[in-house]
Amino acid sequence: MKKTLAVAKWEYIEKVKTKAFLISLILTPLIIVSFSVLPSLLFKDPAPNTEIVGVIDTSGEYFNELEKEFSEFKLPDGNLSYVLVNLSYKDKNFEELISTANKNINKNLIEGCLIIHQKGDDSIFAEYRSKSIGNFKVVARFEDALSSIKLRKKLEEEGIDTKIISYFQDRVKVEQLKLEEGGKVSSKDFLTTFFVSIIFILLLMMMVVYSGQMLVRSMIEEKSSRLIEMLISSSTPDELLNGKLIGLSLLGLTQIFIWMIIGTSLVASALVPMDAFSNFLPMLIYFILGFMFYSSMFVGIGSTVNTEQEAQQITTYLSLVLMLPVVIAMPSIQNPDFLMTKIFSYFPLTTPTIMLLRLNAETVSSLEILITVGIMIISILIVTKISAKVFRIGILAYGSKPSLKEIFEWIRE
Amino acid sequence: MLIVNHLVKKFKTTIAVDDLSFTVNPGKIFGLLGPNGAGKTTALRTILNIIKPTSGEIIFNDNPITNEYYNIIGYLPEERGLYKRSKVIDVLLYFASLKNVSKNDALERSDYWLKELKISEHRNKKIEQLSKGNQQKIQLIAAILHNPQLLILDEPFTGFDPINQQEVKDLILSFLSEGKTVILSTHQMDLAEKLCEDILLINNGKAVTSGNLSEIKKNFGGNNIRLGLNGDGTFLNHLPEIIKLDQYKNYTDIQLKEDVLPSEFLKKLIVKVDVNHFSIIEPTLNKIFIDLIKENSIAV
Repeated sequence: MKKTLAVAKWEYIEKVKTKAFLISLILTPLIIVSFSVLPSLLFKDPAPNTEIVGVIDTSGEYFNELEKEFSEFKLPDGNLSYVLVNLSYKDKNFEELISTANKNINKNLIEGCLIIHQKGDDSIFAEYRSKSIGNFKVVARFEDALSSIKLRKKLEEEGIDTKIISYFQDRVKVEQLKLEEGGKVSSKDFLTTFFVSIIFILLLMMMVVYSGQMLVRSMIEEKSSRLIEMLISSSTPDELLNGKLIGLSLLGLTQIFIWMIIGTSLVASALVPMDAFSNFLPMLIYFILGFMFYSSMFVGIGSTVNTEQEAQQITTYLSLVLMLPVVIAMPSIQNPDFLMTKIFSYFPLTTPTIMLLRLNAETVSSLEILITVGIMIISILIVTKISAKVFRIGILAYGSKPSLKEIFEWIRE
Repeated sequence: MLIVNHLVKKFKTTIAVDDLSFTVNPGKIFGLLGPNGAGKTTALRTILNIIKPTSGEIIFNDNPITNEYYNIIGYLPEERGLYKRSKVIDVLLYFASLKNVSKNDALERSDYWLKELKISEHRNKKIEQLSKGNQQKIQLIAAILHNPQLLILDEPFTGFDPINQQEVKDLILSFLSEGKTVILSTHQMDLAEKLCEDILLINNGKAVTSGNLSEIKKNFGGNNIRLGLNGDGTFLNHLPEIIKLDQYKNYTDIQLKEDVLPSEFLKKLIVKVDVNHFSIIEPTLNKIFIDLIKENSIAV
């Protein structure tokens, strides 16, 4: 045990001091932030500016009412969201009005134009013209406003009390909420969910790849210089392996700790919404378990490697395995009850990533969390055992890379 | 004292070590010799408790090998290398901690050996900043820092200049005078000849010869002479007294039959040819090595 700790201490301190660690510490969150936060900043309501919208209302019945309704919509800074301009000049006919409006839209003088066609009967028909047809919000608001104005007019005509009219018009809104374990509710939207999960998965991936590479590289150094022989003439291979694993895990925890500080400051600066982290504890558990699982795999595989090139190959393969859950992430986050999602939740290679996704997309029962965490812990123990067997022989096998068949023989020995 | 009894190590298809038995006495250097691939490294690894023998036993100072044994053996592997990007003193402390040496003792001993090998000024440098010879010295210190009872050195002199070789030799000899057991594995027969009292020569995993070096030399056929001739020496090939001869540019090494007296042989020669050099020589370890291995390989 004493020697295990000596190895762990050495592995931790010597690696924490390296430039590679410092770079990964800073670079990883930087890359992830630029991949995830920046686009969301760029696409988030690009113009919190007042929009100027033209209205052509030849009947003249609706403009004032519309203006009144739209004065309700305010920007966060208190200014009006919309300024409506009446384009229904008396001296022009309908076609002329529309062509002027078109010109103004094309010259960007106005954002768009609402054209109200009055029909013979009471019904009206409206169209909204603008350069982009993606502006659902303003269209929905016009629809709401016009319908309620029309209804009010009709009810007033029929001589109904204004109180009753306003009662009629008080619309019931339905807000979509996600129910959490224990009855709490949250109002996260799809984007936040996906975004937070993906950040965690990306962090896990990069951490596994970085530290895995660091580990394999240092084992190659030990093997090529035969340092490994001095090490295992001083301690048992198991002590060495466990020491390396503990050292690496401490290194990972250091990284997580520092990233948590960065994360907290991101939350504090309101770049990331706070409620995105409501599942933080279980997420952290899956994160650490995932890291340990892959680390213990790396130690075994790393011991069979002799050259930098082989190391690169192997890290690439393992990164691909890690990528697999990200590929199935999209369907599983949209439909967490998807059968494949369930299956991959219990498959240790993909458990951490899938569970990181599901925790945010749906309410995962405590039982399921317990079972998957159990699976992860058992898998880590098994993988460590297998790795130890491979490690014991692998560290002494120089020269050519052992074949899969040979490695299986080592495991059975 | 290290006793190895009927040591066998089999791998899947090959027998790397085939029934080796030998005794290493304290206070003497034991030479483990053999050509490349003879099984030296495998034998050393089993002695070091790195790999388990298929059968046979290893007993050190009356005790079988346990994990405690790790703390009293020191090993310098053949190929050299250290953590290049780490500091000299940190590396030494790490290896000491793996041998269960307390930090204070480790610091004290590191400084002592650094001074002894005249590299104290490199104490706080990174390994990669040191010359190759000095890096090897650091590795040697790492192997002896815990004051091992059994020291196993695999080619300890390669890569050192003559001055450093002398320092390393002195260091090994100082260990002997403390009554410790030292195993030396090498290809450099001249060094082995100077340093080792007992040797074990192995080939294909089997012992070819073992025992006290001077006894081995005596038994190897002591009837060797070196001859220098003026003129044609081809007639030597037909002399019945000669078992074997190696012709060089300026002289000829000759092995005579056991019952032939060198002086009688000389008398016979002088009448035939002009002799300018005549000496009786002991076989060198180098010669013993080459002859025995050749013989052994043919027999196999």
